[in-house]
Amino acid sequence: MSQIVRAFAPKADPDKCTSCGNCQLYCPEGTVMLDENKKPIFDYRYCKGCGVCANECPVHAIEMVKEGTQ
Amino acid sequence: MISEKFDRRYSDILIQGGTQCCPGCGGPLFWRIALEALGPETIVYGDGPCAMCALRSIKVPFFAIHFSFIADGATGISAAMRAKGREDITIVSSGGDGATGDISFGKVSAAAERNENIIQICIDNEAYMNTGIQKSGLTPYGAWTTTTPTGKESNKKDIPLIVAAHKVPYVATASVAYPRDLQAKLRKAKEIKGFKYIHTVIPCPTGWRFDPAKAVEVTRLGVDTWTWPLYEVEKGVLKMSRRPEQKPVTEYLKAQGRFRGLKEQQVEHIQAEVDERRRNLLAQEGKSLTL
Amino acid sequence: MSFTRMMEGNEAAAWGAKLARAEVVPAYPITPQTELISNLATLIADGTMKAEYIKVEGEHTAMAAAVGASVAGARVFTASSSQGIAFMEEALWQPPGRRLPIVMCMVNRTMGPLGGLRPDHTDSLLQRDLGWIQLYCENSQEVLDTILMGYKVGEDRDIYLPVAVCYDGYFVSATATPTTVPDQAQVDAWLPPYRHEWYSLLPGEFKMPPPQSFIKMRMGLEDALQRSKKVIEAVDRDYKRRFGRGYDGLLEEYNCDGAEAVIMTMGSMTGTARDVVDIMRAKGKRIGLIKMRGFRPFPTEELQRIASKYKALAVVDRNNSFGSAGGGIVSMEVARALYSVPDRPLLLNFHVGLSGTDVTMRQIEYMCKETLKAAETGKVKKVVDWVEAHDLGEVM
Repeated sequence: MSQIVRAFAPKADPDKCTSCGNCQLYCPEGTVMLDENKKPIFDYRYCKGCGVCANECPVHAIEMVKEGTQ
Repeated sequence: MISEKFDRRYSDILIQGGTQCCPGCGGPLFWRIALEALGPETIVYGDGPCAMCALRSIKVPFFAIHFSFIADGATGISAAMRAKGREDITIVSSGGDGATGDISFGKVSAAAERNENIIQICIDNEAYMNTGIQKSGLTPYGAWTTTTPTGKESNKKDIPLIVAAHKVPYVATASVAYPRDLQAKLRKAKEIKGFKYIHTVIPCPTGWRFDPAKAVEVTRLGVDTWTWPLYEVEKGVLKMSRRPEQKPVTEYLKAQGRFRGLKEQQVEHIQAEVDERRRNLLAQEGKSLTL
Repeated sequence: MSFTRMMEGNEAAAWGAKLARAEVVPAYPITPQTELISNLATLIADGTMKAEYIKVEGEHTAMAAAVGASVAGARVFTASSSQGIAFMEEALWQPPGRRLPIVMCMVNRTMGPLGGLRPDHTDSLLQRDLGWIQLYCENSQEVLDTILMGYKVGEDRDIYLPVAVCYDGYFVSATATPTTVPDQAQVDAWLPPYRHEWYSLLPGEFKMPPPQSFIKMRMGLEDALQRSKKVIEAVDRDYKRRFGRGYDGLLEEYNCDGAEAVIMTMGSMTGTARDVVDIMRAKGKRIGLIKMRGFRPFPTEELQRIASKYKALAVVDRNNSFGSAGGGIVSMEVARALYSVPDRPLLLNFHVGLSGTDVTMRQIEYMCKETLKAAETGKVKKVVDWVEAHDLGEVM
């Protein structure tokens, strides 16, 4: 499999998160899901760092941070 | 373990994460949304769009030839499934805008005329993106592409309307910014026998020139400005899916680099066209669109 | 029940597809194939044949639908001619590349704008490089039999290749000759249902050939074509055992015992050539006839084996390859096949019957005489001879 290279990666703040599910719904790659606590987790093996999840979060609970610092 | 959770998820959602599409591409987003509605008893046939990279990751049976082969292979698959007594399987034929609107346009029309029992989907990123952003018949007026560097001079071909003129049982427009609406339309299409056509505009950050993070936001603006209205034509009768509060078209145009070269009067022209379409759609709602 | 009656090639072909139990027939009409598909449509409509006839809007779609249906597990039959074959060319690459055993009739017709509706072989020969098996039939009976043999050969799990059953428009397609239609039960016992082991599109059973390097795919295709030679011959022998009719595989030597010179023909003119050779033999002329039935895979080894028996070999090309290295398509392949044979015969090449003009007994006699002259003198007067340019008179 080819390697995913990204400049930014998503990082979630579970305290800000309201479990609306937008991130899971709109992630183009399906690499965001709500875990059993209904908080977002990311599949960093395949996430491209596009930033859609952060953009669609209504409460800004997801931040795009420099790759490697998530 | 997080990776195990995701591996299980990819099996459930019928698409593997990590496609070769660009970041922010609407293609894999479309297929994930669509496959949830279509389910595993589906065969997907199709090729062409850049978003085809997403098709390599789906977890239902899939077959493609080239983009000059839209709807025709699906016609053969459909006949073979009838021969096998497996009409329970949903057959989806998919093509990009270049395929559906240009090179395979005649084939889509013919499949509609034959009322083939398939769901024909157009995944429209509004140019030949796979070959490096060249104009297609579905590129909107004024858009930059490598073959229309000063902006496209002709209008976007209205494929949903043309297909509706074939008097097929179901035609719909959809958007990945409104996933539940798209899914409801696919579920409805699954239950109908005959030719169903669903046309979705998908965002292309690379070809439309904007930050990938805005992919869904830009797509939503397309709907909310009435540039890409959402509707159904069921048995010839028009029904609006959404009647959003109309935002000015400049909000949509300014969000994309491909419209940077537009002059004042071109923007006015686009607004006038959008307004006219909105008026016509609202006037025709509940009435037959065909003659 | 088997029955025999006068039948045109286009009807015989329809019976062939029916007996083979083709399940999906995507086809588009074009003269001179048209009666074939209308015959099929009738057989399907009246329930004699259980199949679906897809009334596609063009030949490109016909072959595309054929590919989709074949991958999805249905036995497919289709047919076209001339411009239609050219129009579907892009799609014609798919079946051999994907190893799909589709059987297709190519009802030979000349290519425009250089002719009308009548036959020459340029349309099918143009597609020689794609990897289809190509077999050329002389009459209605051979068409029917070759369609059945085509499925048996193509669907052999060691082969998996598409087969083009070629026959002349009008001279075979619309000329009635006595044809025996075998019994369906007898065919069923000989030709089992289609099952491709490499492909399934059924959910839960999805199967596709594993990804391979492009060079491996190509070498695999070439290899399959070479292997198919023995299979074509074996199926022909087996068919003769079961149904009483055989065609000598890829090449037939007719009245060649003791011949010094031979002419080689393809298609319907072979029938006329048989008569001419018999007449000339009766007059003591040592001329024989080779019928080229299989053009792809090219019967190189067989040709090399028999060619050194003769002093002169004339290839009759009912086709054109403009600007070629020398002559028609078949003669160039023959030249290549015989290049390495130390005592190879002198090679003559005749163009005749182009654009479907009648190939007369007089013309065949002329070609035979020229070939005999070459055998006698050891010299070829004209390397490439366009026979129709000569005023030979009408009657032999």
